[in-house]
Amino acid sequence: MTRRTIQIDLNRVEGDLDFQLELEDNKVVDARCIGSLYRGFEQILLSRKPKDSLVITPRICGICGTAQLNAAVLALENIGHIPVPPAAIRIRNLCLMAETVQSDLRQSFMFFTADFCHSKYVDRPFYEKARTAFLPFKGWVHRGALEYSRQMVEIIALFGGQWPHSSYMLPGGVTTPASNRHIIDSLSILNKLTRWFEQAVIGTDLDSWLAIQSADEFFTWLTAKDAHADSAIGLFTLISRDIGLQDVGFGTPHMISYGAYDDPDDAGTFSPHRKHLFRSGFLNGDTGNIEPFEQAEITEHVRYSWFQPYSGGRHPFQGQTIPDYQPHSDRYTWCKAPRYQNKVVQTGPLADALIDGEPLIRSLYQAEGGNAWLRQFARLHRTARLLHKMREILHELAAQPNAPHMITPNEKEIPDGEGFGLVTAARGALGHWVQITDGVISRYQVVTPTAWNASPKDSEGRHGHWESSLLGLTVEDPDDPVEIGHIIRSHDPCLVCTVHLLDTGKPMTVWP
Amino acid sequence: MTTLLWLQTGSCGGDTMSLLCADSPSLEELVDEYSIEMLWQPSLSIEPTSRLDTLIEAIIADQQALDILCIEGSIITGPNGSGMYDPYRGRSKMSLVRELVEKAEYVVAMGTCSSYGGVHAAPPNPTDCLGLQFDKQSPGGLLPSEWRSRKGLPVINISGCPAHPNAMTKTLAMLASGLPIELDHINRPKAFFNTTVHQGCTRNEYHEYDVEDTEFGDKACMFFNLGCQGPVTMAICNTELWNGRSSKTRAGVPCFGCTSPEFPLTQDLFLTEKIGTIPVHLPLGVERANYMAYKSLAHDAAPDRVLNKTMDH
Repeated sequence: MTRRTIQIDLNRVEGDLDFQLELEDNKVVDARCIGSLYRGFEQILLSRKPKDSLVITPRICGICGTAQLNAAVLALENIGHIPVPPAAIRIRNLCLMAETVQSDLRQSFMFFTADFCHSKYVDRPFYEKARTAFLPFKGWVHRGALEYSRQMVEIIALFGGQWPHSSYMLPGGVTTPASNRHIIDSLSILNKLTRWFEQAVIGTDLDSWLAIQSADEFFTWLTAKDAHADSAIGLFTLISRDIGLQDVGFGTPHMISYGAYDDPDDAGTFSPHRKHLFRSGFLNGDTGNIEPFEQAEITEHVRYSWFQPYSGGRHPFQGQTIPDYQPHSDRYTWCKAPRYQNKVVQTGPLADALIDGEPLIRSLYQAEGGNAWLRQFARLHRTARLLHKMREILHELAAQPNAPHMITPNEKEIPDGEGFGLVTAARGALGHWVQITDGVISRYQVVTPTAWNASPKDSEGRHGHWESSLLGLTVEDPDDPVEIGHIIRSHDPCLVCTVHLLDTGKPMTVWP
Repeated sequence: MTTLLWLQTGSCGGDTMSLLCADSPSLEELVDEYSIEMLWQPSLSIEPTSRLDTLIEAIIADQQALDILCIEGSIITGPNGSGMYDPYRGRSKMSLVRELVEKAEYVVAMGTCSSYGGVHAAPPNPTDCLGLQFDKQSPGGLLPSEWRSRKGLPVINISGCPAHPNAMTKTLAMLASGLPIELDHINRPKAFFNTTVHQGCTRNEYHEYDVEDTEFGDKACMFFNLGCQGPVTMAICNTELWNGRSSKTRAGVPCFGCTSPEFPLTQDLFLTEKIGTIPVHLPLGVERANYMAYKSLAHDAAPDRVLNKTMDH
């Protein structure tokens, strides 16, 4: 038996990423996901006025600042029992969806599919088609994704002033109403993007695409017409399956979703239990059942993280984030290890779709499991659903022209107390837990989607989701483990998004 | 051909995301029309990260020309001056940046973090962050204030959190086409930092007649009560709109002064500090007594359509 350690370092993720893998006879027997940058956001927020979180926390992440803003404002509204009018919920949802569509298009066609252009595949029949479509700055899909992801966030600029990093969601609503000018401008942006998505990405119209409900229907559709097979999603699917991504990268079977997008029909009065447009839940991988989600079941471990140790796991309200950098110990990351019901879980668009009960993704999952291809496919499938939903929202806003966009809170200051804000960001479950004492922030704990997925081992030595998605994998060429790049990117790694972590470590090659 | 290397230090990636939003010129145009060769950009390069190692070695050995070095993110010097909160290949990014700047014709700080320290340097500055050539407003950061790049310029600061998309791409286009760049007192190109955020704000008529909002979500000016720093902040947000569409102040969000070295201020960011009824920080260069006189006259002259906030923007 030969044993060796390889280092893998990835670009084209938000932040850089470092993996250490132990191989025995080319089989992965241990994996360590390393977040090596520490920024200390949770400390920066201490002693500041509560609303300052609306300016500081979007800066946690350049690609999902709208989701951070939403989590921050929900936490403040949770503490102050502050109601939000339906129109404000719709505007928030519209902007969250625009940000997610932006992120999904960039992740799919700028970060993920570029790997198909790798020289390893030069002899494969798909190679020329892949380069024509996906090569950075040259491929027709890459250029389209650049252009239309840029246009999509213009919708956020209309309501929030700019993207990235604005603070237009405030306790009680949003700062700008949906004027007819904004609505028509938004529809115009959405129309152009939808046309491109239909022509370039799915090769059919949105309604026909969304009507596909089962694995059989999808695979029949895929090869029924050249326009389907040669669409971006067709190429991505056929190439992924040609190289076997449907057989790898499963990770933990347990999944969580916080539910996405507050239901505007449930708004106007404060309720600690929010209804969502897309359902929340915990998919128990042992039973296959979807159970109600309860935030009290979340804990975070630091046994293998560079934080001052405590035993077992702690709920974020008892959370502690004191850096304790020990590079020469068995601790290896700035990421904590979040657990749900003391289980390792994954989050993201695959989990969201399964928990929401989306029929096509569920059918594909039942057929082949939660593999690397399906995880990426679920992300693009979501784009179609969101484009459809955004149009509905704009029509709902247009139907109520003078609906209030802000209910000014009775109290000028957020009262002392504790609260949380849970949202679904592009990469999955994002939560902020906040405590306010004597009028200032006394504790702020952020658990990002990537913290769930990129988690290190916990107090019981159990690997996190990304780590476990690599265990058992046989690597063809340890000096050029291209299959690992595909698997890791299918998780949509956002290393800045883990608050404590970013950036790379040591020599590593995904390919030479 | 102009070679460009883009490194992220302690960052959220927001300046890269902002760069992708540039439309005049766009990133594609920089590549197609300005012959900028992206040797490395972490979100865009197709090559594996080992390519970056090879590039860095070649640049340091003077075998690869480096025309423009862009740095995105705070320079993290902690813990204990080691820089190892932000490592690269077992060393600190801080030390890597220090080597690379000596090889670049121009060094550009993209965003407030690499310019002045930024949000990560906010108290208690847990990771001991600096800007490249400033520590907040004090001259001297990672590099001393007298430092100059090979072309004789200090670090060019395109501040902003994030930096304005077109301020970044226009600066790169100017450098690539050999246009001169004049800097202000904190080394920002005057082309983008010689106007206030206030200038061009669609709430200006309300400001003009001293009609000031006291609650968010309304239509009037946010300078007197709601923490807006537009009149004291230099940036093009209201003269070259964000994402081609709007700006924070137009959308009812106060300007937080994110292009300034002091960003983010430690006080309540949604409240204006005042002496009596007048903000502590007046529009740049204005005398307090004159301002008070002007404001009371202005309010008296206000037409009903402004006083009653019936004007949209």
